[in-house]
Amino acid sequence: MRHHRWFTPWVLVAPAAVWLFMFSVWPSINTVVLAFTDAKPLGGGHFTGLANFRRVLDDDQLVDALVNSIVFMLVCLPLLTVLPLLIAILVEKKLPGITFFRTAFYTPVVASAVVVALIWGWLLDDRGLVNGFAQWLGWVSGPVPFLTDRWLLLFSAISLTVWKGLGYYMIIYLSALGNVRRELHEAAAVDGAGPVRRFLSVTVPGVRNTMLLVSVLVSVSALRVFSELYVLSNGTGGPGGRDMSLVMLIQLYSRGFTGHLGYASALSLVLLAVTIGPMLALLRLNRKAA
Amino acid sequence: MLAITVSPFLWQLSTSLKSLQEDIYTGTPGLLPSRPTLSNYAEVAETIPVWSYAVNSLIVAAIVVAGNAAGATAAGFALAKLRFRGAKLLLGLFLATLVLPGEVTIVSQYVTVRSLGLADTLLGVALPGAIGMLNVLLMRTAFQAIPPEMDEAAIIDGATTWQRLRHIGLPNVRGMLSVVTIFAFIGAWDDFLWPLIVLTDPDNYTLTVGLQYLNGTFSANPRLIAAGTMISFLPIVIVFAALQRFFFKGVEEGAIKG
Amino acid sequence: MRKYWAGLAVVVATMAGCGLGGPDSATGPGAAAPVASAGGQVKGKVSLQTWALKPKFTEYVQGVIDGFEKKYPGTEVAWLDQPAEGYSDKVLTQAAGGTLPDVVNLPPDFAVPLIRQGLLLDVAQADPALATEYVPGALAAYAYPGVQGTFGYPWYLNTDVNYWNTELLTKHGLDPEKPPATLDELITQARTMKERSGGKVYLMSRRPELGDLTNAGVPIMSPDGARFTFNTPEAVALLDRYRDAFKEGLLPRDVLTDTYAGNAKLFNEGTVAWTTGGGNYITSLATDNPTLAPKVVPSPAMGTPPLYVQGLSIPKQTKNAPAALALARWVTSAENQAAFAHLVNIFPSTKSSANDPFFSKSDGTSSGDAKVIAFESLARAKVLEPVQVTEAMKKLVRQQFALAISGDVTSKEALDAAVAKCDELLKN
Repeated sequence: MRHHRWFTPWVLVAPAAVWLFMFSVWPSINTVVLAFTDAKPLGGGHFTGLANFRRVLDDDQLVDALVNSIVFMLVCLPLLTVLPLLIAILVEKKLPGITFFRTAFYTPVVASAVVVALIWGWLLDDRGLVNGFAQWLGWVSGPVPFLTDRWLLLFSAISLTVWKGLGYYMIIYLSALGNVRRELHEAAAVDGAGPVRRFLSVTVPGVRNTMLLVSVLVSVSALRVFSELYVLSNGTGGPGGRDMSLVMLIQLYSRGFTGHLGYASALSLVLLAVTIGPMLALLRLNRKAA
Repeated sequence: MLAITVSPFLWQLSTSLKSLQEDIYTGTPGLLPSRPTLSNYAEVAETIPVWSYAVNSLIVAAIVVAGNAAGATAAGFALAKLRFRGAKLLLGLFLATLVLPGEVTIVSQYVTVRSLGLADTLLGVALPGAIGMLNVLLMRTAFQAIPPEMDEAAIIDGATTWQRLRHIGLPNVRGMLSVVTIFAFIGAWDDFLWPLIVLTDPDNYTLTVGLQYLNGTFSANPRLIAAGTMISFLPIVIVFAALQRFFFKGVEEGAIKG
Repeated sequence: MRKYWAGLAVVVATMAGCGLGGPDSATGPGAAAPVASAGGQVKGKVSLQTWALKPKFTEYVQGVIDGFEKKYPGTEVAWLDQPAEGYSDKVLTQAAGGTLPDVVNLPPDFAVPLIRQGLLLDVAQADPALATEYVPGALAAYAYPGVQGTFGYPWYLNTDVNYWNTELLTKHGLDPEKPPATLDELITQARTMKERSGGKVYLMSRRPELGDLTNAGVPIMSPDGARFTFNTPEAVALLDRYRDAFKEGLLPRDVLTDTYAGNAKLFNEGTVAWTTGGGNYITSLATDNPTLAPKVVPSPAMGTPPLYVQGLSIPKQTKNAPAALALARWVTSAENQAAFAHLVNIFPSTKSSANDPFFSKSDGTSSGDAKVIAFESLARAKVLEPVQVTEAMKKLVRQQFALAISGDVTSKEALDAAVAKCDELLKN
């Protein structure tokens, strides 16, 4: 049964829909078309059939990039879905000085990539704080190559992503926690449920939709990771470029005057293909749980 | 943990206060400036028209914030609470924008804005971000969290769609709305490449673009750059501090209001 | 000068993507406007775009512009100065959208793709005096193999000079008076430094690039420019030397992921005793790390010094070609360039400046010595990388070289892979 005139919803969604088509759907259609051409930023644009996709299949760096992106997602997804929720619960308490903590967790979100790179460089490079500390404690004899080893660099970038993501997703959770009804908490407390029990049976169901949204956002942005790997490797993608992500690869080919837009677009479609999978899986998981 | 979190800003702040006699890039950076000075800030203000750039940035941010607050709220409400044909499809498209590759599209966006006659205008800078697809999804999630019983009660009372949005919807999504506002503000305020491409006349530059003048060809004084960064960071702190009350208030009051 | 070239790295570092030829971008050679000539009257409005000269050189540039408007009454110059970061994106959208200003500061690597698309005016055709007034090396940077013409007025030049931290050298048993002049000497002294400092301080911190291969006599491309050829035994030998030096601990591990500016950063921190930079490096160091600057002395670059060129180009689509040509010529004139060079350690591209005693006499400071060394180096300097080498190719080469130096693959494998990748990018 409908309680509104047929056009009301359309009036409400119209502006967003216009933006959707003008600034998202239309450029994306363009990308699909470009993937079948040899387009350059200036000139080019001849139809080349499947040539770009044949090149994709031959690209050995793409394999590394796919592996990197998937490892990134598998580690980030659980951490960034759960940790920010716990922090949000922690900082929603009314304690003296809590505003400082709330703001502090949020600061990395607005820190510029350059400054972040500087700080993490100091932390992780051969003469950095972490290595100095580990050597002082005698845990390691020589410096650990956090920023130059294929896997260590990847995990350093993951730590940086989690660090930056905590504040961002914490905020989203905080606004959702406001909607969890206090009576439910109180009722559960009266029933003798401990904090863990209350978290699982009251808080989690209350923010389930938000958790779903956050997990979708986390996995999408993990698959599209760029700046963290970029800044930690000074844009080089590590020795041999083995630490490049898919987006770094797309950037490498698309940027500048001589960008290979056709090939970059084909790579973008690969990225699209690998992102759709986890998203559909998460949505299905949600439907099952509902 | 907390130390790492705030350290970038402490370092930036300390650099901006260092005098010309003090080294900046050393192996063991001194956190406290030995002779703190405010002259770097004065020099930034002398070098570039900080105020007029800041006003430009504010105009862009205001358009983006208003656009998102209105557009994303309206669309989010319709998608969450109203039933209509095509809603599923539309929602799917909004979700799809999250995965659609946007890496290769900046020139085509420029061509769009230019064909609208908005090249070299602040409106042209603000336009593409004026309704963020992610914000629509965030608002939808927030509206969804309102229990259906409240809506049903309102409908039985004969409330119109507008009244439902106004009296049941909005009061309960204030938290998310302030999140959307903050994200939109920060996004618009920090954006660099897009305003640089759209704007031609240096008088129209936004603060992030204008501050790049401190990073000149033969002259990059990191102290000035740090001071500029602190200046541009300040409004974000203000907006955050002003709005965080809202979503924390929502948390503290607890209950859903009907 | 380093700042300028490092700016390119910054450009690449910006987050958003770019590209997608819209309807306006299909301005091929055939679509260009009729070629303008210098014959017309010099008057009316003309726009000039510079790169990151404000605010430090506002007064200088404004003075040059005022002089132009005075010399040619009835002209009006609109000056746009673009920020350092994002300049390539800015120029690219201007070119794609057909909105390039009348006179544009383009380094050769920005100009070359525009030349290939036929977007720039052949200034040699419009101004026959060009070849007699500017140095040939700088003019060559604005030509492209297979395209007839010269597409920019050379502006200021620079090169690289070696800079040494005397304090670190002396402390670790090396003589600042006798800095290494060859790779052999460099490696020997680096060994001394490593042993004396217990591995805390390094002398070497630069990974070889294509320019180093050119210097070792390796041909980067085939003579017709159709394919890459730098996977020669000489190149293998050079990479092997770096790999062995790295294994021995003579280079910090940062070289594996550093960019061009990386060794300057380590030099600033006092971790490394050697860096390379333009003639003005000490001046900028004096701002960053004032206590370090007095301890730094220059020496000539090893091998053939690299030539860095800036220039002013004019798009074919300009509506006021006579005024644009006159303005580009005016800004790059010997006297205006000389005045610029007095403000900062850069060097004029005009032939007549070669006899200016200002450049060949040092005022006794290290910065003055650097100026003289750079000026003398310029006579031998060459563009060390072929113009066909794009940013993407440079990055892929860098990645492969780092892999070879880390020892994970042989130098031969890395060079073969780099050549294959560059060839693929060249073809498509």
